[in-house]
Amino acid sequence: MADQSFDLYDREKQLLAEGKVVLGTNNPKGVLNYSKRLYKDFSRVVRENEDLTRHSDRQERRLVKLNKNLKIQTKELDSRKTELEELSGQLGKYLPPQIHEALFRGDYDTKVATQRKKLTVFFSDIKNFTQISESLQPEALTDYLNEYFSEMTKIAVRHGGTIDKYIGDAMMVFFGDPESKGERDDARSCVLMAIEMHEKLQQLQHNWRKRGFENPFEVRMGINTGYCNVGNFGSEQRLTYTIIGGEVNVAQRLEANAPVGGILMSYETFAHVQDLVEAEQLKAMRMKGIGRDIKVFSVKARKNNGVVKLIEYESAKGVSISIDLNSINRKDRSGLARQLKMGLKKIEEE
Amino acid sequence: MNDLNIQETERTPEIKLSVSDGVFSIRGESFPEDVSAFYGQVIESIDLLKENIPDRFQVIIELIYTNSSSIKALYRIFEGFESIRQGGGNLDILWYFQEDDDIMEELGEDFHDRFPDLKINVKPKN
Repeated sequence: MADQSFDLYDREKQLLAEGKVVLGTNNPKGVLNYSKRLYKDFSRVVRENEDLTRHSDRQERRLVKLNKNLKIQTKELDSRKTELEELSGQLGKYLPPQIHEALFRGDYDTKVATQRKKLTVFFSDIKNFTQISESLQPEALTDYLNEYFSEMTKIAVRHGGTIDKYIGDAMMVFFGDPESKGERDDARSCVLMAIEMHEKLQQLQHNWRKRGFENPFEVRMGINTGYCNVGNFGSEQRLTYTIIGGEVNVAQRLEANAPVGGILMSYETFAHVQDLVEAEQLKAMRMKGIGRDIKVFSVKARKNNGVVKLIEYESAKGVSISIDLNSINRKDRSGLARQLKMGLKKIEEE
Repeated sequence: MNDLNIQETERTPEIKLSVSDGVFSIRGESFPEDVSAFYGQVIESIDLLKENIPDRFQVIIELIYTNSSSIKALYRIFEGFESIRQGGGNLDILWYFQEDDDIMEELGEDFHDRFPDLKINVKPKN
């Protein structure tokens, strides 16, 4: 369809080619005729050039205007984007991170809908929180509690737990929704999370004592695996993403019955982690509303599988040493060994 | 015989020529990669009309955007209209521009001034 042979400047080119010939002949009549044609064509080209330049200037003016508007709009969009990001960040603190991310990816359905799913549920609670809160200044209590929740939350998120809610001094986390690694791995992640929380708490207690918090928080933990209803509860106007069901209550009762600093789990959880942790079976418990005896296991420590990976020492005099060799690389190990040797020398010299 | 029916693309306008109906139209945006190749056939078809001038000829130009090279091609097309007019043809040229599009309006006026023998009616498209 396109005409490859046509040249938009054919007339101008032809005139130039003719000029080369005419000017070479020294024929005055020929030169005069050519000059007349050249004058006519040149006049046309000048007019065209004037029009085209004018048009080009108009286009340029429009482009400059559009560019200015674009810059203003881009600036406005950037500022709106920053506002939305800040708002998203603020809102995100009120939601489980997985739900927050899914919402902003656009693949989370905010309908009132729930489903039955096998989950591993975790509860923790601070022992004697009411008495502790009476013995501390409210500001100090807030600081310690926020530090405790921040550290525990970091651990829960790292293990893939969904933080359901903080209820006063209690914390409720579950594994298996909205993301699941399969019920076995969900249960294992939950127990490993609880152990890491327990270890972190020991560090926090040590630091708190140094900062003057004489009787720092001590925590009970309970874990159960079972079918729960999970999803969006509430109304179209106000939703809560949470879990409900008898198995949730079992986790809470286990926590309530746990010794201070202890982690209790049900047989359903234990079955998934028995190769992972040392556990002691306790007396089965009967719970209101649960139609079976709950076999109870107390988590003692991670299993070392023949290799010593954890060094733990505790004394009543406020000395606590806990070294997880799994999480220390070769370089850090030699540095740690040097420090321990120096510490040992100091102890022996005293 | 010289009829044209060129479909609109992202870079080129729709161009229609019906000799029997005496209608020629250009609609859309014009910034072809090769202006000579695209407009060559159009310029040649209009030039051919000089040999068989229609009684009445309706021209509709409805461009949204045109680059400078396309304007050069439009000059050639309008020179063809000028020849038809000089040959006794009765042409009616409507140059439409989108409301608020001062660039296409002013370009229409430039053509109006440049070809005073042609009846070019520059008006907004409703």
